[in-house]
Amino acid sequence: MKTPSDENHDLIRWLDGEMTADERRAFEATLQNDPELAAEAESMRQLSESLKTHLPAEMPVPHADFFNSQIQVRIAQMELDDAREREKAAESTAGWLSWLRMPWLVGAAAAAFAIAGLVWTQNSSSGTSTIASTYTPNPSVHAQVFHSADAQATVLMLDGLEPVPAEKKIVGFRVHRAESDAEVATTTLFDENGSVLAVVALNAKGQPQVLK
Amino acid sequence: MSAAAPAATDPVEPLDVDLVKRSQAGDTRAFDLLVTRYRSRIYAMTYHLIQNETEAWDLAQEAFIKAWRALPNFKLDAAFYTWLYRIAHNVTYDWLRKKKIQGDGEFDDERTEHRAMPGSRTAPQGFDAPDRAMKRQELGSRIHEAIARLTPDHRQAIVLREIEGLSYEEIAEMMKCSLGTVMSRLFYARKKLQEMLKDTYENPV
Repeated sequence: MKTPSDENHDLIRWLDGEMTADERRAFEATLQNDPELAAEAESMRQLSESLKTHLPAEMPVPHADFFNSQIQVRIAQMELDDAREREKAAESTAGWLSWLRMPWLVGAAAAAFAIAGLVWTQNSSSGTSTIASTYTPNPSVHAQVFHSADAQATVLMLDGLEPVPAEKKIVGFRVHRAESDAEVATTTLFDENGSVLAVVALNAKGQPQVLK
Repeated sequence: MSAAAPAATDPVEPLDVDLVKRSQAGDTRAFDLLVTRYRSRIYAMTYHLIQNETEAWDLAQEAFIKAWRALPNFKLDAAFYTWLYRIAHNVTYDWLRKKKIQGDGEFDDERTEHRAMPGSRTAPQGFDAPDRAMKRQELGSRIHEAIARLTPDHRQAIVLREIEGLSYEEIAEMMKCSLGTVMSRLFYARKKLQEMLKDTYENPV
């Protein structure tokens, strides 16, 4: 037995031509025996015709030329914004790479290799740190630490480093590509073979710090 | 989409697919031609759903801007108009949802009347006698008012079916509801329109 909802659905499916041929024949037979339903169906059919007539599928756009030109202006603005974003991103990456090519980095890297280990101790009461001992893998290199509390500075002196020949080309890392990990706020630098050159992060002062 | 995708048939006019490819390559002039080609249909849809000229104008423009942004992801696996129409519908649907327009019987003072574009499939053919033309115009106004009083869901179902000629499946997909809901919305929307336009049909044009 059909519910009122089923009958309603049959009516509009018939009206919208959504019935199969068999369903349509059966429904039209019902219409012949049900004058009330037939009147309802005819009324809805008229309504549907009126809607199709009075609700146009196309309407003239007011100020059509302005409509188009505004779209072009907005697209141009978006392209400009995108280009600026790309430029900013490129500058940011270039900043990282230029930092890696700075001459002092070569010295810092040499020092890092020369002094492979520094043992730091921290005085929890004063909040200051001191270097307790040093270790150099090359026994001919001798490290000395000078600390000045007044100047709040520590100086490391390395004796016995081999002089760098003048003709030797000193270059920084040859960074092939960089990948940033937003979660841990680090950037990993790779060479052309895909080997990791360094993992870099910014410290609290916003200065780059080599983690690896 | 049965009533959709009125792609260019004039052999001199560039095909949609060519204009889309040029647009995807960044050719804004090609996109401008697509805007010109479809703006009347997109605007008609937004206008029928919103019943406000200014908002409909803005929403139609927003639809084209969104389409431009999404063009790189358009794989040409559907007709451009079908794809554009979905974007326009979503833009309008979101707007309606935000506005929570209710069919509470209040008319919008900003609403303005439009006539069908000459040559469109719904334009009246031939010339009417003045009294008949006036009655026809009156009926058009009353239908617009009645449509404006429907709830957004009922209005959308009617517009998608009666104007755009979408199948029930397409309406269900567009409105994110079941086929049964589509049928119920169409039935009750028509019942409400019948009620509101009752005296018009008792004294037909």
